[in-house]
Amino acid sequence: MMQPMDTVLSVVKHSWRSLLFWGLTFAVFAQTLQLAMLIIRFGDLPNYGISYDWLGNISTIAQSTPSIKDMLPIMFEEWWIEIGFMNYDYGNGISEWSLNVIPSRLVILTILGGLLALLILLKRNSACDAVAGTVGMAGASVGSVLVCMTTAAMSWVVCCATPSWVVGLAMLGLSVSASLALEDLGPTLFFSGFAVLLVSIYAIARGQAQQHNRQLSSDKSSHELPALEYTSALNRT
Amino acid sequence: MKTYKALSKSLIVMAGVSFVLAGQASAETIKIAVGHQSMCTDTYTAGIVVKELGLLEKHLPKTGKYADAEYDISWSDYSSGGPITNQMMANKLNFGVMGDYPLIVNGAKFQETESLRTLYVAGTGYNLKGSGNAIVVPVDSDVYSIDQLVGKEVSTPVGSAAWGMLLKAMQDNDIPSTEYTLKNQSPAVGAANIAAGKIDAHSDFCPWSELMEFRGTGRKIYDGSETGVPYLHGVVVREDFATEYPEVVTAFVKAVYEAGDWIREDPMRAVSMMEGWTGVEKEVLYLYFSKGGHLTLDPTIKDEWIEAVAFNHTVLEREKAIPPLNFDQWITEDFVKAAYAELGQDYEAEKMTAVDPVIANKGLPNEIWHSRDGVTTYDDMPSFLSAMAEMQGTGAKLNATYVYDIETGLKLFGKTAFWVKDAESYATFLRKGEAESYASDKGGQLIDFDTAIADFIKEG
Repeated sequence: MMQPMDTVLSVVKHSWRSLLFWGLTFAVFAQTLQLAMLIIRFGDLPNYGISYDWLGNISTIAQSTPSIKDMLPIMFEEWWIEIGFMNYDYGNGISEWSLNVIPSRLVILTILGGLLALLILLKRNSACDAVAGTVGMAGASVGSVLVCMTTAAMSWVVCCATPSWVVGLAMLGLSVSASLALEDLGPTLFFSGFAVLLVSIYAIARGQAQQHNRQLSSDKSSHELPALEYTSALNRT
Repeated sequence: MKTYKALSKSLIVMAGVSFVLAGQASAETIKIAVGHQSMCTDTYTAGIVVKELGLLEKHLPKTGKYADAEYDISWSDYSSGGPITNQMMANKLNFGVMGDYPLIVNGAKFQETESLRTLYVAGTGYNLKGSGNAIVVPVDSDVYSIDQLVGKEVSTPVGSAAWGMLLKAMQDNDIPSTEYTLKNQSPAVGAANIAAGKIDAHSDFCPWSELMEFRGTGRKIYDGSETGVPYLHGVVVREDFATEYPEVVTAFVKAVYEAGDWIREDPMRAVSMMEGWTGVEKEVLYLYFSKGGHLTLDPTIKDEWIEAVAFNHTVLEREKAIPPLNFDQWITEDFVKAAYAELGQDYEAEKMTAVDPVIANKGLPNEIWHSRDGVTTYDDMPSFLSAMAEMQGTGAKLNATYVYDIETGLKLFGKTAFWVKDAESYATFLRKGEAESYASDKGGQLIDFDTAIADFIKEG
């Protein structure tokens, strides 16, 4: 009997390079998309960029934060690159908006991209019914949107308020009150997004495992397990 | 004997290691990183002035355990207080200078952690009634009072002191949040939208409102002083840094004190130099830093300040769900008291003094800033208006004029004040409503600045 996890692990084993490639591509795409949204939202091209000594800063945080419980969240928020628009109409210039490339978020986006690629691979090799497939893909879409949204690394130098993911929502047009009301839901939405995505993967993998098991039981004459070929449709391109 | 020899060797080695380590400790480089805001006037005495005049370097300890220490001082300029807190969390900044709301967020965010804390060690300046924050409308708007904002769009940098002031002002005037649309806009965007008439009103912190007035794009309809809650700025420092180098923190507070002295000594020189450092127009800065200006430079931590930040914390707790803040653990007078003692100043006396513009500015002369001759003062309105008429007649270039609001004692630009002419003299007001009431009581009439000047233009 083939289990859903066996199906997933088999795909990961055979296609990990492809999954990693698409994960990284997705992370770069997500950041580029965020930058494009900022440019469209504010109507200005970025006019400054700063690269930070991320490793050095991580080392400083590690050395000067006694508690590991405190250290990890601070490291998680550490910037690597800042790209934004500086308004020089007032004073010596005021940074109006910026996209912050944060390595920890890149890792999350890469994992997210990898999971999406995994889902697509499973779906392509699955003969599960159309409704289940559509529901699975819809679930995955919702999950990815939630994760992407809550890992948005944009900041708006609006305020003295500490930057958070809802700043991205406010910048993109959601009202302030609605944005602030959602702020505390960040971790819940983030984990819910991943959970929905994982459930979708599981559902499709389960369908595929069942299909495989049915195939096995109907094939009375053969004692050999047919090898599942998870040739990636993505690879074929 | 062998044991004795081995012990002696060990002792010699240990002594050698200790000597090397001690040498290293005394020759250590102390990194001092300060986060400040060059677009927030009230932070200047702990930021740009200290930086540019090298006042911190002047006061840093150079004896005792600091005899061989080298200082590596860096200054980072931010547009708001939030990023300063983040950088302090990551220990990239030791000191942060910011306004009251961001200060509270700073203290609360640190106290939320298990192992990190900041200390609120000194103020920079204040306005007892809350001036500095204000609500501005486009200069051609038909809105003249806060109650006219019902059904309108109002923007503010959410989380800032101006945001807190806006919420309180609306509550005080019985305008629930459902009756106006709140938008989140940065100071620069808000100012640009006011100039373009794209937003009905914008609430901002110092010196943005005055900047808009000076540029002729905006008009104040509500001043923070109407909320009656003091507006203050201050200095926070990471507790681990303060514990390791308490003398450096005291030196920083001494620099803050001296920066205030330097400004008071010659406000004109100070604002001219500050304009070069910050890019903010000197005429706007003069409104803050001159005698009778909006800002009282004072590093002391007054009891009223603690009450004010406690009140502000309740607003932030309600609106932004920020963590609790233990004020007793966060606020310390130790460093500011030590700084005053070392400077030979009376801390308690200054702490007990609070400047109320209504009282302090009563009878202060009006001023004309001639671009070539500098500022001249006039004790009464007729002499002020006569001088204006004369200077305009010669085509003299004037940078700005300053008068005082009868109601609040606030210093205003002559051109943005509401003028009332009655049988006896002229009076100036911040708000149109109060000017109209005064005119009605005195049987006078509401006029503009140019009309008042025209009364003194001599024929021929």
